[in-house]
Amino acid sequence: MWLPPATPSYPGALYLACWFAGSVLLAFLVLPLVALALTQSGASLAGVARMVDVRDAIVLSLEAAFLSAAAAAVVGVPLAYALARTAFPGKGIVAALVDLPLAVPHTVAGIALLLVFGRQGVLGEPLQTFVGLKFWGTIAGVVVAMLFVSAPYTVNAARIGFEAVDPRLEKIARTLGLNPWRTFMRITLPLARRSIMTGVTLTYARSISEFGAVVILVYYPMTAPVKIYELFLRFGLEQSAAAAVLLLIVSLSLFVLLRTLAQRGGVPQENR
Amino acid sequence: MTRRLTLAQAAFGIVGALMVASSSTQAADPTTLTVYAAGTLAVPFRQVSALFTQKYPNVTVQAQFGGSVMMAKRITDLHQDSDLLAVADYNVIPKYMFAEPAHATWYAGFARNAITFVYTEKSKYANEINSDNWYKILSRPGVEIGRSNPDTDPSGYQTVQMLNLAEKLYNAPGLEQKVLANAPLTNMRDTETALISALQLGQIDYLAIYRSDALQHHLKFIDLPAKINLSDPAQSAYYLTGTAHTKNGDLAGKPIVYAVTMVNGSKNAEMAENYVALLLGPQGQAVMKTNGFGEFNPAYAVHVDAMPAALKKLVEPWPGS
Amino acid sequence: MSASLAVEALTLTLGAFRLNQIDFALARGEILVILGPNGAGKSVTLETIAGFHWPDSGRVLIGGSEVTALPPERRNIGFVVQNFGLFPHLTVAQNVAIARRSDRAIAAPDSTFPAHGDPAALLSYFGVAHLAKRMPAALSPGEKQRVALARALASVPDVFLFDEPFSALDADMREQLREELNTFLRALAIPAILVTHDRGDAIALADKIMVLRDGAVVQSGAATEVFRKPISSFVARFVGVENVLPGRIVETTENGISIEVGKQIVGAARGQSMPAGRPIVVSIHAEDVAVSLPEGERQKSAINRFAGRVTAMRRAGALVTIAIDCGFPLRAFLLGPQVREMGLDVGSGVAVQIAPEAVHIMAD
Repeated sequence: MWLPPATPSYPGALYLACWFAGSVLLAFLVLPLVALALTQSGASLAGVARMVDVRDAIVLSLEAAFLSAAAAAVVGVPLAYALARTAFPGKGIVAALVDLPLAVPHTVAGIALLLVFGRQGVLGEPLQTFVGLKFWGTIAGVVVAMLFVSAPYTVNAARIGFEAVDPRLEKIARTLGLNPWRTFMRITLPLARRSIMTGVTLTYARSISEFGAVVILVYYPMTAPVKIYELFLRFGLEQSAAAAVLLLIVSLSLFVLLRTLAQRGGVPQENR
Repeated sequence: MTRRLTLAQAAFGIVGALMVASSSTQAADPTTLTVYAAGTLAVPFRQVSALFTQKYPNVTVQAQFGGSVMMAKRITDLHQDSDLLAVADYNVIPKYMFAEPAHATWYAGFARNAITFVYTEKSKYANEINSDNWYKILSRPGVEIGRSNPDTDPSGYQTVQMLNLAEKLYNAPGLEQKVLANAPLTNMRDTETALISALQLGQIDYLAIYRSDALQHHLKFIDLPAKINLSDPAQSAYYLTGTAHTKNGDLAGKPIVYAVTMVNGSKNAEMAENYVALLLGPQGQAVMKTNGFGEFNPAYAVHVDAMPAALKKLVEPWPGS
Repeated sequence: MSASLAVEALTLTLGAFRLNQIDFALARGEILVILGPNGAGKSVTLETIAGFHWPDSGRVLIGGSEVTALPPERRNIGFVVQNFGLFPHLTVAQNVAIARRSDRAIAAPDSTFPAHGDPAALLSYFGVAHLAKRMPAALSPGEKQRVALARALASVPDVFLFDEPFSALDADMREQLREELNTFLRALAIPAILVTHDRGDAIALADKIMVLRDGAVVQSGAATEVFRKPISSFVARFVGVENVLPGRIVETTENGISIEVGKQIVGAARGQSMPAGRPIVVSIHAEDVAVSLPEGERQKSAINRFAGRVTAMRRAGALVTIAIDCGFPLRAFLLGPQVREMGLDVGSGVAVQIAPEAVHIMAD
């Protein structure tokens, strides 16, 4: 097939190939979701939205995922900064450890967390006895399971964001009289903000969808994925699909909002 | 140049020959037998499948395990292909598979089970508990009990039915409510086997589960009286007086009988029939017994006339049907 | 006048790299250019003075007080880097305003100078007040330099450090900004260090030069000294001496030193004592080589007058570099009109003349 040579105004074979491959992937991702959504009508969605337990499950998922993302930001961003800026023996291992939860089967992760945070767990027992904090069957347990599987996204994205900040800018800020803390807050963090927000959004998304690890620790109160599965067992495809589509609509709106917020205020970096 | 061409040609030739060979061997060997079975049948069915493959070496058995209702719905709702369905509660088959369009027309009960409670030496009051005082200990505050969801899983509602029967048998009003208070929603899962790790990690003290699971997992268990543990089809009338209130309605107690059927429209009907024959015959029964299940001699079946001829010989009509 | 910046015996190990015994002093208003090839340790030296590395031993003193143990934010240093390092997410005004100020003041060159580091006044002084709301990405290099200087001054520094500020610029821009920087630094009389690998920066700006190689000082001193009397052929080549030639001392008398260079004997002024017979290296600046046509100037003294042939000519702007073979390879400069007047071309015969004072002897 003859294509004209690539000029500034004509795309050329390379770009067309890219768009083709990209369209294939987009179709692959979008088609199942669209097909699922099309099985529902406004009435069926309204019906399932009227069910209190479905609404509660979605709200619980959103809340717990928010706490998980917040926790990931609070402890993950400093770790990312350390990984980006400092060199220490074993740094490669630490970086690999951060990625480890991504490779652990979700059920295994859940059992491992139960081992640590359960009634007789090394952390669970003292926390329950002294602070009254339980992870079995509580939102805390949901958050812990969500955080375990989704924290790597925040750390990795934040790390890339920090690595993209020229260290010389931080040095200059120091010479201008800003101490390391102020330098971090006023120079480094704003410049890495977009990457961090992307990572946190990914963590949030991943948290909402987590099932296997959550269900080991917490079956009730039910998160949305657990509820959808229960609906499938009790009623079959129709009701569970309706609840699933409802969750998708809520999640999609949220992600679009978060992405828009993250894009605003982004700074183009100067060429070095 | 010539040498390279020859190498490339040889390479393609070999690959092509392999592809043709593999596809042709596949054509000569069509059978993968798909079996959907309840989770608690995992261990015994793997053993039965091994025996089956010895007898029929050209057949691969692919078994998938999960909640009985879940596996049935995969056939009826998700339209997944399976040749056989084996469930932990014989009622699941008529309830889901007989409904139009019928995915099955008969079933045979091939094993029994009993509800029991398992525990470890870490469990509260582990050294006190026995077959006589179990209900008093399980009623004590602070004891954590796990069970499966009665709305989605047979062992869940069977546990409730058993407690209901126990309350009458021991003449202990409030027994059911007190024990269930120690088994709140937070201690529930879709299937009881999902809670075994929780038991082993000390998150719960006692787990309502099948006797077969107790033996398979080498867990301590309590021998509950046959009058309440749903193990004896001869007690069926009495079992009916025990009720579980679920979101699917009020369910009356029935004996725990594992049932198997062949799925309508299966492409491997002959092999499926052979599998059921093995299961219902002496070898299959021996496997079930070794794994802690109660045996049937012979198996009971419903709608016997709908069964293949070879299988009719192995069964008796279900008593009372 | 007490030295305003002094570095004593600074030694630092950074991984595999080692900075060894760096030592110099700068008075108020002096500019030191640290020269050296890539990897010589120039930036590391600068960063150690700024406080970003802990030296193994040695001291850094600013304005007479020791700062070796202080973090960078307490050292009162102005730091300007390649591409000027403006914070890309802040406007020009925010960039300048972010500096922490104290009650200190700079000794102002004139009364209009904002000696207390007031950001708005600094922007006006540098003529960039109209850019206050612009983002750095929208500025030209010249504007960036002025904003970077204004920002550094906003923290009222005692010392200015420049790390290859012009490296990413083209030649014209480089010259222009160099000039502006020169004017600015002279007016301000704050000691400054400029790190560069470009000798043009050194020629334009340096009061003192320090040549670094592999973490050690090779030569350090007044700029004229380093230029005219490089200590080794490495330094000579680095500061741009065009003629670096191997030779051998023939004899030393009270009139001067005779050196065998190539096929000729070159006379150097006395005072550079060397034993006879020694192999040495001779350095001669191209601008010290007088070129004329063979017939003229007969009555001048015959010391260091050689006949030769033009082997190559290269034009760079108004200047023409001529390569001559006169018994040894020699390079000289001529202006375009001179070349035309003498009718020189490759192959032409010429006579070269070198003053003995311009012949500098180095050990290697």
